[in-house]
Formats: sequence, structure tokens, C-alpha cells
Amino acid sequence: MNQTLLITRPNYDEATTYLFHWSKPVIKLAIKKGDRVIDIAGKKVNREEFIGRLKKISPDFLFLNGHGNQTTIFGQDNEALLTTKDKLKALKKLIIYSRSCNCASLLGPHCLNNGAKAFIGYKQPFIFIYNPSLSTHPLADSLAELFLNPSNIVITTLLKGQPPEEADKRSKKAFQKNIQKLLTSETPKEYSAAIRFLFWDMKHQVCLKKEE
Amino acid sequence: MSKPKKKISDKEIRALVIERLKTLPSNIKVSIGNEGSFTKENLIAKVREGDTTGRKIIEVELEYLRALKKGDLFNESNTSHHPA
Repeated sequence: MNQTLLITRPNYDEATTYLFHWSKPVIKLAIKKGDRVIDIAGKKVNREEFIGRLKKISPDFLFLNGHGNQTTIFGQDNEALLTTKDKLKALKKLIIYSRSCNCASLLGPHCLNNGAKAFIGYKQPFIFIYNPSLSTHPLADSLAELFLNPSNIVITTLLKGQPPEEADKRSKKAFQKNIQKLLTSETPKEYSAAIRFLFWDMKHQVCLKKEE
Repeated sequence: MSKPKKKISDKEIRALVIERLKTLPSNIKVSIGNEGSFTKENLIAKVREGDTTGRKIIEVELEYLRALKKGDLFNESNTSHHPA
């Protein structure tokens, strides 16, 4: 069955540029599978566009990239897209993955209270390291890949029809695999530096679900 | 009778974290969400100042060191689903 994915990808600083580019493999996979992808990117990631599309298309999955805090996820230039003040019917039955800081603390439970099926996100800042000399070619940055590939696995697993708990689990396994690889093999200093942050992201990634 | 354990002061913890941060390579940046992106030198300065970012970095380092001590880095339970 074809599914609909709504994705937001602001792009206005180094962190959002990395998320913007690293979301491309997910879009590619969804299109290859024949899923419908509504991609709100760059300057178009504003509240009006986001809420309008969300209400109009009723997606199955929502993949939010960008900065966030406990109550809010932001779009381009820090414009609030979704907050704990919103009461949206369009959240009903949605599965949400928010690749942003802290949103799983309050915004996640708020989305569940408004009918979302599941919310996967982070209860703490999502931290990643990167090589600034590659910041104009983020997809070529193998340091950032250590973080952004395991996080992509959340949404690619969902697109493959697996339940949210499984998506969370497979993503954490990929984080753990990277940690183990770095701990057990001879790696350059910059790669070893990643371990503490990979562990942090893995530990603070949560899958929130309404009790059935 | 064993000696009572000495409690490590905040100053000592900060010094430990700074020493660990000094081992980070200079050619990387650390993105900490809304707080921004930081070089090794920036992070050390933040820990010295004790601002929000500095305190968060201390939390990251301590959580990692505790996990290392407990052998939690290879623990299967890290990857299991934890309901809210």
C-alpha cells in the first residue's frame, strides 16, 4: 500500500544544512518504493505551509528535521512549526519522527494526546559531530554519517512497514554498532571522539506510544 | 574499616571534563542543536564558564564515563524499546 510521507527540511545554518542533505536518502527510498513524498524544504518550511499541507494531505508519517526544544519544533530561521499550544486534528493516527532536540519531553506527549499514534524523538539535545571542511558536501562527511545514518533508520524502517518500536530498536542497534566498531578497531582520533555523543543520542532516543 | 568515599567536587569534575575535551581533535565541530556548533576550544571555554552548554557537555561526559565503568556500552538493553 502506498503511504504518504510529509517531511520538513529547513536549511539555514550548519546543523540544519546537514539534516537537510542527510534526509535525501530517505526521500530517495520513499520515492523508489512508490510512496508519496511531500517535501517542504528550505525557505518553504514556515508554519503556514506546514499546517496547510498537514491538514490537506493527512500523511501517514511526519519526518521533522531542524532545531527544537521541549515544547516546539522550528522551521526555517527558527519559525515555530508545531508547539504544545497546537490542537490539531491532523495529528490523528500520525507516526512522527522528530530529528531535533528535546522534543520528546513535552511536544511528543502533546502529539499523543492529540491523537498521534507514535512519536519518536529525543529527550535531550540531538548531538552530532562533523568535519567543517566538508560542510558544503555533508553527504561526503563520514563523521556525520555515524550519527545521521542510524537516525535515518528510524524513518526508513517505518516506511518499510515496521511498527514504531521496531524502528526505534533498529535505529538504536545501528548507533550501537557504530559505537562497537569505533571501540574495537583502530580508528583516527576524530572518529573515537564520536563515541560519547553516539551513546548520548542512543540513550536519549525514545519511542512514545499511547497505551492501547 | 574502609575509608569513607571522598565526594568529588564540581571543580574537580569540571577539570576532568576539560582534560577529556583536550583530547578531541581540532578539525571537528560538535553540533548541539539550538546551542550551536562548537570547536574543541569553544567547548572547553563553555565548561569553564559553566553555562548551559558547558553543563550539558559535563552531563554527556559523565554519562559516558559511567556507562564505560558499568560496561553498558555493549549492553543489549540500550537498543530495546523503552515505553514512555
